[in-house]
Amino acid sequence: MPIIKEVCSTGIEELDMKMSGGYPLGSTVLVTGCSGSGKTTMCMQFLFNGARKGERGVFFTITEPLFKLTKNLEGFAFYDKKLIESGMVNIIDLRIISERLGLDTEKYTVEDAGALLDILKDIADELDVKRLVIDSITALCYRLQSPQMIRDFIFKLGTSLAVMKCTTLLTSEVPPQTFKFSQYEIEEFISDGILFLGDVKRKGDLIRTLQIIKMRGTAHSRTKFALNISTQRGIELIPLLKSSEFEFETLLK
Amino acid sequence: MVRETLIDTTLQKKEGFIRTGIDKLDRLLEGGIPSGFTVVLLGSPGSSTEILVKQIATSGIVTYITTEETKDEILDTMRRFNWQIPDIDFVDISEKYYSNILKGEQKRVSIYEQRSKLKLKELIEIGSTGMPSTTTATEDFLAILSNRTKNLAPNRTIIINSLDFFLSQCNQDDVLKTVYAIKVNNLKNKGALLIVMTKGVHGELFERKMEGLADAVLELDVIQKGSSFERYLSVKKMRNYAKKIGIARYVIDDSGFVLEMIERIM
Amino acid sequence: MQDTVIESIRERVSVAIEVNQSVGIQVPENRHKDLLEAIFHSMCRNTYDIWTFITVNQTFDYLTKTFKEITKQPNIKFIDCISRAAGISDNSNNCFFLESPVMLENLILEVMNNFKNKKEAMSNAKNKKSDIDKYIVIDSLGALLIYNDSEIIRKFYSLVMNRSRAENIHVVSIFVEEELNSNQLIQFNDKIIVVRDSFID
Repeated sequence: MPIIKEVCSTGIEELDMKMSGGYPLGSTVLVTGCSGSGKTTMCMQFLFNGARKGERGVFFTITEPLFKLTKNLEGFAFYDKKLIESGMVNIIDLRIISERLGLDTEKYTVEDAGALLDILKDIADELDVKRLVIDSITALCYRLQSPQMIRDFIFKLGTSLAVMKCTTLLTSEVPPQTFKFSQYEIEEFISDGILFLGDVKRKGDLIRTLQIIKMRGTAHSRTKFALNISTQRGIELIPLLKSSEFEFETLLK
Repeated sequence: MVRETLIDTTLQKKEGFIRTGIDKLDRLLEGGIPSGFTVVLLGSPGSSTEILVKQIATSGIVTYITTEETKDEILDTMRRFNWQIPDIDFVDISEKYYSNILKGEQKRVSIYEQRSKLKLKELIEIGSTGMPSTTTATEDFLAILSNRTKNLAPNRTIIINSLDFFLSQCNQDDVLKTVYAIKVNNLKNKGALLIVMTKGVHGELFERKMEGLADAVLELDVIQKGSSFERYLSVKKMRNYAKKIGIARYVIDDSGFVLEMIERIM
Repeated sequence: MQDTVIESIRERVSVAIEVNQSVGIQVPENRHKDLLEAIFHSMCRNTYDIWTFITVNQTFDYLTKTFKEITKQPNIKFIDCISRAAGISDNSNNCFFLESPVMLENLILEVMNNFKNKKEAMSNAKNKKSDIDKYIVIDSLGALLIYNDSEIIRKFYSLVMNRSRAENIHVVSIFVEEELNSNQLIQFNDKIIVVRDSFID
C-alpha cells in the first residue's frame, strides 16, 4: 500500500503540482528573496487559501504595520476580509507584542528574543493554527546585536518550530542579485525547504523567478518557474522558458 | 620665568571681566575671565575639576548644565563648602538621562513578570489591531544644550560640566558644531562659557580642535611626588593676554579651591 | 479585384479557424491589414466565443484607431506586448499591457487567465451556452522574434500549442512573409494558409 504523505497546500496551484500536493505537513520553509520579490504576498496567499479549507493561520509581521499589510491585500482575489474577522487568518504585529512585554522594539537581547519566541509559540498554540508565517526573520535578527546572538536565536527558533505542529513559512531577505539563500547562512539549516524568489535577465529585462532549492520529503525538480505577481490573482507560476543564452548566464553565476 | 606670590586680598570688580569667585584665580587671570571668552577646562581624573567648577558657579549669574550630577547633589556639595549659593539656573541633563536608562532597565527586569500578567487572548487582540507606538527617539541632548544657551541675559556665565557626556552620546563633529554655536552666542552676550572636558580620552585631534576653538584653556593636573599628590592648575592659552599664561599649585580645603603658588611663564 | 481577395481571405480564414485547432497563416506585409480585417470579422460574428488577441506588431492604440469597434467588443481581450516597453502609457479594460515582449511566461499566464475569467463570467450569466469556443490570435510570431531568441520562441510556441490543445483553445498564428526566421514555426499548425499578394494557396 502506498504511503500517503500528508501535505499542506501552498496556495499556488503550480507549486502544489510540483511538490505533489504541497509543503510537507509541519515543515518549516524558508521563503527567501530580495525586497519586492513577492515573499509577503506568497505567504498571505498560503494563509488565506489555507483558511478557505478550514486551516487556521497566523501571520507575524515585524516590519510592516498591520494597516499597510491589509491595504496591500485588498486587490487580491485570494483576500477575504471575512477570514480575518472570523479569526481564520490572524495578522499580528510582533512589535506591539514586544512593546506590551516591555521590550525595546528596536534592540533585542538574547533573553528578549527568547521571551518573544515563547510568546509566539503560545499564541500559535492558543489559536491552534495549522499555518504560521514569520515575516521576516531578517528583521528579527536585525534587532540582535551580534552574529553569535543571531546564531543562537535562529537555532532556538528552529527547535521551537520543530516541536510545533504547524507548517511554517519564514521569510528571509537577501540583497538583490545575490545567490545566497539567507542573510546569515544558518537560516537554511533550520528549514526543511527553501524557496528562492529571484530573477533572471532576459534581453535586458528582469524576469521574476521562483526555484525550489530544497524540499525535504518531496520529489521535486529544481526547475525554475517564472513568477508573476498579478494585482488580482496574486502569485502565479509557470515553467520558465529557457534558452541556451540563458543557461550560459546561469553558469556564469 | 618670573616667580611671584600673590597676597590674598580681595580684588575689585573689573570692567570687561567676569570673576571666577576664586580670588587667586582672578588674580592670576588679572580680573577674571575676559567677557565673551570661551574657556575650556581640561581636567585629568582626580584633579577635582568638579569642585573648581562648582565654586565658580557660586559667583555671578550662572547657567549650569550638569550631565553627571543631579542638581541636588551639586547643591549639597556647595552647602558643604559653605559657599553662598546664588540663584543658579540648572539644566539637569543627568536626571533626564538617568531616568531614561532606568526606564529601559526596569522594562527589562519585568518582561517575565509582565508575561505572566498578560492574558494571551488580550495580547492577540492587541497585536492584531493596534499600531506600534513609534519608538521614542533618544533625546537629542545637543538640542537641549543649544536651546538652553540661547537668548540669555548679558554677562551670564555658562558652565557645561561636562562635554564628556555629549561626546559619549553624539558624534564629535556634531558636538563641535554645537559648541561653536554656543561660543558665538556667548560672544554676543559678553558672558563667559566654561566647558569642562576630561583630558586625554577624546583623542588628541579633538582636544586640539577644542583648544583651537577656545579663547582660553585651563588645565588641571595631578602629579605624584613621592608619597603625595600635587595638583597644578595651568593656564595654557589666553588669547590676547600673553602674560596671563602661568601655572599654580592648588589644594582643596574646607573652603574649597585654594591656589598656593603661581609661576608665570612669559 | 481587391474586394474579392479580401472576401476570399475572409471566407477561408473563418472556416479554417473554426474547424482546426491551430491555423498558421502566412501573409505578405501588404496583405497583413486585410488579413487582420478578415480575422476581426470572424471575431465579431459570435459574441459567445472568447478571443484573446496578442499584438506584437501594432500597439493597441493603433488597432483602436484603425479598426474602431473591434477593440470595444467585450468578448475580445487584447494583449499589447509592445506599448509598455516603448514607454507608451495606455489604459483600457479590454487590453492588458505586457511589461515587455520578453516576458513570455507572463504572456501565457495572462492568456490562460483571460479564458478562465471569461468562462467564469459566462457561466454566471443567464443565457448559458454549453459549447464556448475559445481562440488565441498571435500577431505575429516574427515580431516576437525581434525581441527574443529563436530558441526561446520555439519553446514558447510549443508551450502555447500544448496548453491550448489541453484546454481546447483554437490558435491562429500570423506569419508575415517578410519577417525572418519565423516561417519554420508554421509547421506546428494543423492547417496552414498562405496568403499571396493576389490569391490564396
